[in-house]
Amino acid sequence: MAYLDLTIHEIHEALVAGKTTPRELAAEAIKRACEDQNNAFELIIDQDAMAIAESLAEPEPDNLLWGIPYVAKDNFSTKGYPTTASSNSLNGYVPLFDATVIAKLKQRKAILIGKMALDELAMGGTGTTGHRGTTYNPHDPRHERMIGGSSAGSAAAVAAAIVPFALGSDTGDSVRKPAGYAGLVGYKPSWGRISRYGLFAFAPSLDHVGVLARSVSDAAAIVEAIAGHDDLDATSAMIANPKGLPQLEGDVRGLRVAVIGEIVNSPHHPIIKSKFEEILKGLTEAGAVVERVHMRRDLLDAIYPIYITISCAEATSNDANLDGIKFGPSFWGDTYEQAMLKARTNGFSELIKRRFIIGSFALMRENRDMLFVRAQKGRRLIVEALNEIYKTHDLIIVPAAPNVAPRFVDGSDKLSEEYLIADNHLVLGNFAGLPSMTVPIGLKDGLPFGLNVMGRAFEEATVVNAALAVERLTGLKNLRAEGGVAR
Amino acid sequence: MNFEAVIGLEIHVEMKTKSKMFSPAPVTYGAAPNSATTPLDLAHPGTMPTLNRQAVVYAIRLCHALHLDIDRELWFDRKNYFYSDLPKGYQITQNDRPIGKNGYLDVKSGPGMRRIAINRLHLEEDTAMQHHYRDYTLLDYNRAGIPLVEIVSEPDIRTGAEAADYVERIRSIVTFADVSTGKMEEGSLRCDVNISLRPVGADKFGTKVEVKNINSINNVAKAVDFEIKRQTQVLLSGAAVIQETRRFDDSLKETVSMRLKTDAVDYKYFTEPNLVPIRLSEQFVAEAIAGCPELAEAKYDRYIRQIGLSEYDANMLIASRETCQYFDALVADGSNPKLAANWLNGDIAGYLNKSNLTIDDFPIDPSRMAGLLKMIETGTISNKQGRDIFEKMLTEDTAADVMAERLGLRQISDIDALRTVVAEVIAANQQSVADYLQGKERAFGYIVGQVMKKTGGKANPGLASQLVKEALSHR
Repeated sequence: MAYLDLTIHEIHEALVAGKTTPRELAAEAIKRACEDQNNAFELIIDQDAMAIAESLAEPEPDNLLWGIPYVAKDNFSTKGYPTTASSNSLNGYVPLFDATVIAKLKQRKAILIGKMALDELAMGGTGTTGHRGTTYNPHDPRHERMIGGSSAGSAAAVAAAIVPFALGSDTGDSVRKPAGYAGLVGYKPSWGRISRYGLFAFAPSLDHVGVLARSVSDAAAIVEAIAGHDDLDATSAMIANPKGLPQLEGDVRGLRVAVIGEIVNSPHHPIIKSKFEEILKGLTEAGAVVERVHMRRDLLDAIYPIYITISCAEATSNDANLDGIKFGPSFWGDTYEQAMLKARTNGFSELIKRRFIIGSFALMRENRDMLFVRAQKGRRLIVEALNEIYKTHDLIIVPAAPNVAPRFVDGSDKLSEEYLIADNHLVLGNFAGLPSMTVPIGLKDGLPFGLNVMGRAFEEATVVNAALAVERLTGLKNLRAEGGVAR
Repeated sequence: MNFEAVIGLEIHVEMKTKSKMFSPAPVTYGAAPNSATTPLDLAHPGTMPTLNRQAVVYAIRLCHALHLDIDRELWFDRKNYFYSDLPKGYQITQNDRPIGKNGYLDVKSGPGMRRIAINRLHLEEDTAMQHHYRDYTLLDYNRAGIPLVEIVSEPDIRTGAEAADYVERIRSIVTFADVSTGKMEEGSLRCDVNISLRPVGADKFGTKVEVKNINSINNVAKAVDFEIKRQTQVLLSGAAVIQETRRFDDSLKETVSMRLKTDAVDYKYFTEPNLVPIRLSEQFVAEAIAGCPELAEAKYDRYIRQIGLSEYDANMLIASRETCQYFDALVADGSNPKLAANWLNGDIAGYLNKSNLTIDDFPIDPSRMAGLLKMIETGTISNKQGRDIFEKMLTEDTAADVMAERLGLRQISDIDALRTVVAEVIAANQQSVADYLQGKERAFGYIVGQVMKKTGGKANPGLASQLVKEALSHR
């Protein structure tokens, strides 16, 4: 039996029952990793992973993650293992410390078997801009469709059942978007819930650690394991970590659900729309109170420009450390300016340079008020509008994306009428730091699509509970792609 | 035409916290290069700043001493620029909301005092140290991230002497508050001077020149005076002062041009997203202020009002925090304050000067020194004997009374014993007694001298003289 095809909870039962072993699981995961067809990996960790797996002899019934293989996006610092953020600027960089989430999973005896490709420096939503090229969607063996990004490799590995879960990061929608395109549960809890120490910063005011898994309960369980206050991250919350979320019943009776009309009414594929309405009906029948609410159209139209302005501004500062002087490839020169110029010219793709220029431009003295400060004010207005909705409702539920995974050739103009709202609204959860989970709700020609559940800050239980209800309605648990692994 | 100098000072103070501003690396001076660093100090990806609580306590102490309004919320900003000594490509500082605003410091100006307004005091972090060689530069990140406060004055200073006194007073505050070693020569206190001239009575400021690299308080005055003279000459010759950054050359005692200052650099400030604003409770602020050691000004008042020292002695003592600490320890150990001040400002200061040492290196610890002073005060030994014992104690860690015993240096203050000696001396010097009785005052001194001689110098001179007078009066 291929235990890796199961959810974490199922694998755990098999481990405790002695039906399989960490060694067997790790060996199979590494084998599948080596056969990966989707260009998902930056690094396969084989020998060390096997050594850890072999050291795990006595099953731990109370430790769900004992002996479970997993992968991490290659923007989490891993001591002793090259970490590049899929950028040439970090080729050969070997971190000196483990990210807090990596350390916590190590402590729980989960086994890291790979570092995964991403859009360079986590900037991008297509999975096409990493320094090792495009990452493909395992649900499309012809490799015509994107998996989405930036946590592209992480999503591909979980969708292809190489591992049952992966760590990702989410600044705009970088966990939840690829989750939607890959039929996975993509979950980022509240800003401050999980320590970001060791996550390579893209835009810290928006950055979240997130997870990708194949069931709501699995995703909730991983977050339970890696969440909690961390002295090394001054923004990590002191609020106690909720327990028992993976065991919730999905009881939505009395839950007040808001559906933002302006998002639902923006262009979506009819199949997605009707499936979404079907789910809403199901939730209503299960006892939830589902209501349409309004949000100012101009605020929704502004999401993408605000996001680009703030994230690029923060990124241009965060990535200023990549100057070829202290670590990473060095090129040197007669002056420090030359050394930095060469390192940064060679280190970044044109796309990244463009983002840095946008960010710098927005922060320039003469533009700051007009762009950066205005974007921050816009963000504040959007957060206030969301808070207004949360005064009367517990959750916001909307379709995760306007369509299934797009073809590479089609591209997607983020500013077009077609995409402006429907493809960008997941950023709302980053603006306000809200717990947000994407779950699959259907398939169109074999390609998955999902919806998104977003709750009040630090009220993760409500989100998990509703997502469990959706999962029960769809039956789409443990969705796997057949095309990912040659077997 | 008469010009008036308009001078503003920016002072950076390195704080002597145990660890750095935002990382757990130790704060060191003189450690092996790059030994006091963590991944954060080298700006490794994924590292995050955590605020040093003690640095905030220190900043509050200084804000209080400089009469600044203390912000009850801490905000940090990023100052973005590329430079080889700046590992992250930005410095975390406080641009929009400094912890302290709108204070002042009174400085000596001619015979009186002038109030210099202080614009702000803010927290920030130091950069790496660069060592430039002909073909390459070496970087030492031990300094990167050391907590700094920057204190920015309003352009209220008018002369080199005022500028030097301002810096001296800041230095005194930061050292007495136990916030910094305040050593300009080691760079733990750094001073940048902004200076421009304008016709007396004018409102508009002239073109500003910034002078960096001043390594002592004396040189603050020299740099300012030189710059006033230089700019005066430039203006009188009909030329314009160029906006530039100059440095003070210690060997030339002149300022020399470093670089032209074109439009000010755009630092693209924004709020540091990895440090959420921190609210400072009233209790935290109150405790930070209450925990501040006594500052020089308060000590000066106490020394004069409570202890009765002279202004001269009090001034000498408060020139150094360590000297005050030594003095306070002597007094706490029961020494007569005036005697203690005399010794500290006299023999001890002389010894330290001669040996080129500071009080920290002074070999006699305060309790032993207090023992010596006690013997002098009670008349057990004379001041002169005290000096002899002091000399020995400098090289040998021994208590004063033990040393006195060993050297046989004990003053005879036993009245009966001295009376016997006096009687013997008078009996043996009848001619002198006769001379004295005939009005020759000099003979009295001779008789007392004979008493001292007969006791090997151990007689308490005051007592001896009194007994001789007594004996002669009976004649």
